[in-house]
Amino acid sequence: MIGTVTLNPAIDVILEVSNLKINQYNKVLNAYTTSGGKGINVSKAVRACGKETIAIGFLGGGRGRMIEEELRGLGITTNFWHIEEKTRSNTIISDKKTGEHTLLSETGPEVTDYDLEMLKSIFYRVMSQCSVVTLSGSLPRGVPINIYSDLISIAKERGVKTILNASGEQFINGLEKKPFLAKPDLRESNEVFGIRINKEEDAIQAAKQIIQRGAEVGVVSLQNEKDIIATRDEIWFAETTCHKIVNLIGAGDALVAGLAISLTEEENKLEEAIKFSMACALASALREEEEFSSREEVEKCLQYVIVKRMYK
Amino acid sequence: MKIKDIMIRDVTSVLATCKLVDLIGILSRHKITGLPVVNNNQEIVGFISLHDIIRATLPNYLGIINSDSILSEFIQLSKSLKEYSQRPVEEFMGKNIITIDEDENEVLASDLLIRNKIQRLPVLRNGKLAGIVTLTDICRVLMENNENKE
Repeated sequence: MIGTVTLNPAIDVILEVSNLKINQYNKVLNAYTTSGGKGINVSKAVRACGKETIAIGFLGGGRGRMIEEELRGLGITTNFWHIEEKTRSNTIISDKKTGEHTLLSETGPEVTDYDLEMLKSIFYRVMSQCSVVTLSGSLPRGVPINIYSDLISIAKERGVKTILNASGEQFINGLEKKPFLAKPDLRESNEVFGIRINKEEDAIQAAKQIIQRGAEVGVVSLQNEKDIIATRDEIWFAETTCHKIVNLIGAGDALVAGLAISLTEEENKLEEAIKFSMACALASALREEEEFSSREEVEKCLQYVIVKRMYK
Repeated sequence: MKIKDIMIRDVTSVLATCKLVDLIGILSRHKITGLPVVNNNQEIVGFISLHDIIRATLPNYLGIINSDSILSEFIQLSKSLKEYSQRPVEEFMGKNIITIDEDENEVLASDLLIRNKIQRLPVLRNGKLAGIVTLTDICRVLMENNENKE
């Protein structure tokens, strides 16, 4: 079973427009809502590939219950801690004419020390059912930056492999407890350890730093379609040859889901794991809908992924 | 039809050491009336419902059903809840737990629910909590299957 932690989930409100004009009247062509948050997206991608997954985190109010209902309907097991304040919402304006996506993200609710204590208790128990857990995304107000390092310690104590996918200080702090695999979330700043990730050498340097700080595998994305993967002995380069990408939202989470799935399938070697995770991300990026791809669709995408060992 | 295809995939539960006041907070926020009680390995050790709490806090509980007014019992309930608020769930939970494996079918689940006069049946995978199944869930799936056949 693959566990996912989403401390700051959201209800995503997707508004489809044609040629968005700022400061003017815009007609919405289509509107729909779905549950969001990086960990939740990982659970959705894992489940779409037919694997068992359990989603943990904080939810609040009616929006929280909506998210739970949706996840259970998809076959995802839930064990959220319900807080006093309501879950945030994200508004995504999808421009059908220009193909652009604009994300307006609310700050999360306030979480108390008691909520944190209860979440850790749930996490400890649920880890008895998991072999891999992913820790992804931003933190709501009131959650200290060392939360991911605390959760990594608990997971390790219970013999569960951890994947850290966060940004800024939370990522650096989480690395101190040496997760199995770490991937910085570069959406906000495109920078990690003071290295701006613009070219291949930057990504290699950042991936090596992740390993030096104690992770066994470091993954750094480069220009959406490429990834650098480092271990203690090897550096791998992965890229896709298919450039018909229509939707990057959730593609990074699908990549993390692919890595988590590969870690549960012990016969997979690193090269196969990288290829499968890139195919997961590509299959997600090729879909216009806010849904994740089935195992069959992912396997069709394997042909468009090139994985090369760069040097030892 | 397997139970894993019908069950509610939620493993919200409490530890036996959870205080009554915290349990009521959880039931209230989740808008539910009962929960499995587990150990740290997600193995079920009991089941706690509002029914169990009322039975413990109002010893003459059965008498209320036939009485004209619950006012005096309500005051008693309020006092008892305050008195018991810091006590652990294990003092109130039912320990005779009936469960079902996720690979069993809806016939066995219905039989267990009806024969034991219970509302919810914890579902297990490898001996650990995997979800909950109720008679409502089974009826809903049976109805959907009937509609599909027609």
